[in-house]
Amino acid sequence: MAYFSDWDIFRNLLLAARWTLLLSLCAFVGGGLVGLLLTLLRSMKISLMNKLVALYVELFQGIPLLMQLFLTFFGLSLIGFEVDAWTAAILSLTLFSSAFLHEIWRGCIDSLPKGQWEACRTLGFTYLQTMKEVIIPQAVKIAIAPTVGFSVQIIKGTALASIIGFVELTKAGTMLNNATFQPFKVFALVALLYFLMCFPLSVMARHLERKNNVSR
Amino acid sequence: MSVVSVDQVHKYYGDNHVLKGIDLKVEAGEVVSIIGRSGSGKSTLLRCINGLEVFQEGAIVVDEQAVEDGEYKLRLLSQSVGMVFQNFNLFPHKTVGENVMLAPKLVLKKSAEECRKIAKELLKKVGLADKFDAYPGNLSGGQQQRVAIARSLAMSPKVLLCDEITSALDPELVEEVLKVLEQLKEEGMTLILVTHEMNFARNVGDRVIFMNQGKIWESGPSDKIFANPQTAELQSFLAAVI
Repeated sequence: MAYFSDWDIFRNLLLAARWTLLLSLCAFVGGGLVGLLLTLLRSMKISLMNKLVALYVELFQGIPLLMQLFLTFFGLSLIGFEVDAWTAAILSLTLFSSAFLHEIWRGCIDSLPKGQWEACRTLGFTYLQTMKEVIIPQAVKIAIAPTVGFSVQIIKGTALASIIGFVELTKAGTMLNNATFQPFKVFALVALLYFLMCFPLSVMARHLERKNNVSR
Repeated sequence: MSVVSVDQVHKYYGDNHVLKGIDLKVEAGEVVSIIGRSGSGKSTLLRCINGLEVFQEGAIVVDEQAVEDGEYKLRLLSQSVGMVFQNFNLFPHKTVGENVMLAPKLVLKKSAEECRKIAKELLKKVGLADKFDAYPGNLSGGQQQRVAIARSLAMSPKVLLCDEITSALDPELVEEVLKVLEQLKEEGMTLILVTHEMNFARNVGDRVIFMNQGKIWESGPSDKIFANPQTAELQSFLAAVI
């Protein structure tokens, strides 16, 4: 049996953490793009569109992320699409985070006074001009803190991808534990690495929140 | 030809009949005050005139354009009708100058230089030439409302609608805003205001419309309305507010 020094354990976890970060980043960017599209579609206030977007959100918020992972990974292969763990993980995390990011951003837009829209209408702005010049610049300011806060949820959410065999931080921890039989040491390190990734984001979110509160 | 002509307008919110057959004609250069208790439909009438609210029956014509639903038509209409709100509704993330320049730039497609000139002129007119680069958040309520007036004027509207524009102001700031309106009247601007400032309605306004229960209950020249109210409702309303 191979021998693992503490350094070996730490090094391997660190290497695996790269994939956690990369997966988080992909999910955040993908989810952000889809979420942005959903937000724009919904702000147009077309009744059918709103219902479709609302259904999408309910669906992906109402099903546990784990089930979504299972469905994309095992379900898609059942109907003939071979997806690897990478694709399945990115796909599910993107859909999942798009639903939440959309809800956050919609809330930010809705929290702006109705008078801002009315002022734009009485001045004759088009929908796109209103969004670009008045609504989005103000909504972004409110949205930054909760968005950064949600990125913490995404990072922690990637741990579930370990179940479909994607080797990120949690999966690497499980494998190292199987090899070394030192669960306390291994999982404490895993926890520490997650904390080191999430803590700066939490601090940043809090900082941004305070900063925006002062300027308003 | 009247600048604004409202013809038998009915408006419902669900089962709630809020405007019950309104007829109103406003001539160019006239200052018309709409008074009445809250819930009498005066703000709703104002918001129907610029298309912020849809009405179910009747017709409104402003500057020879019919007020109809539809985004494009309302955008055209916005070039004839300006509106000032109770809560200013300035864009807080833009400077005072940018607030005024935005509409001529985006809607009238004027050059940056021209927009700047318009904004400077209008801000001077409302007495805020020195606040061009300030943010609305750093101004008093009265100053913000004067910026809002300048912003509406930047589209050179034919008629300016004012929806209780002094109601959110501290008493000592009301006067500076009313002064601007007086000045606009002297320049020949058509004004329709929903207001609680009875002195202003009496001294500056040409005509007063008293609304009650969704109808125009009584109307006439300002001096006559205040000196000699005919209906019991107007008498009791005036007794309560003056």
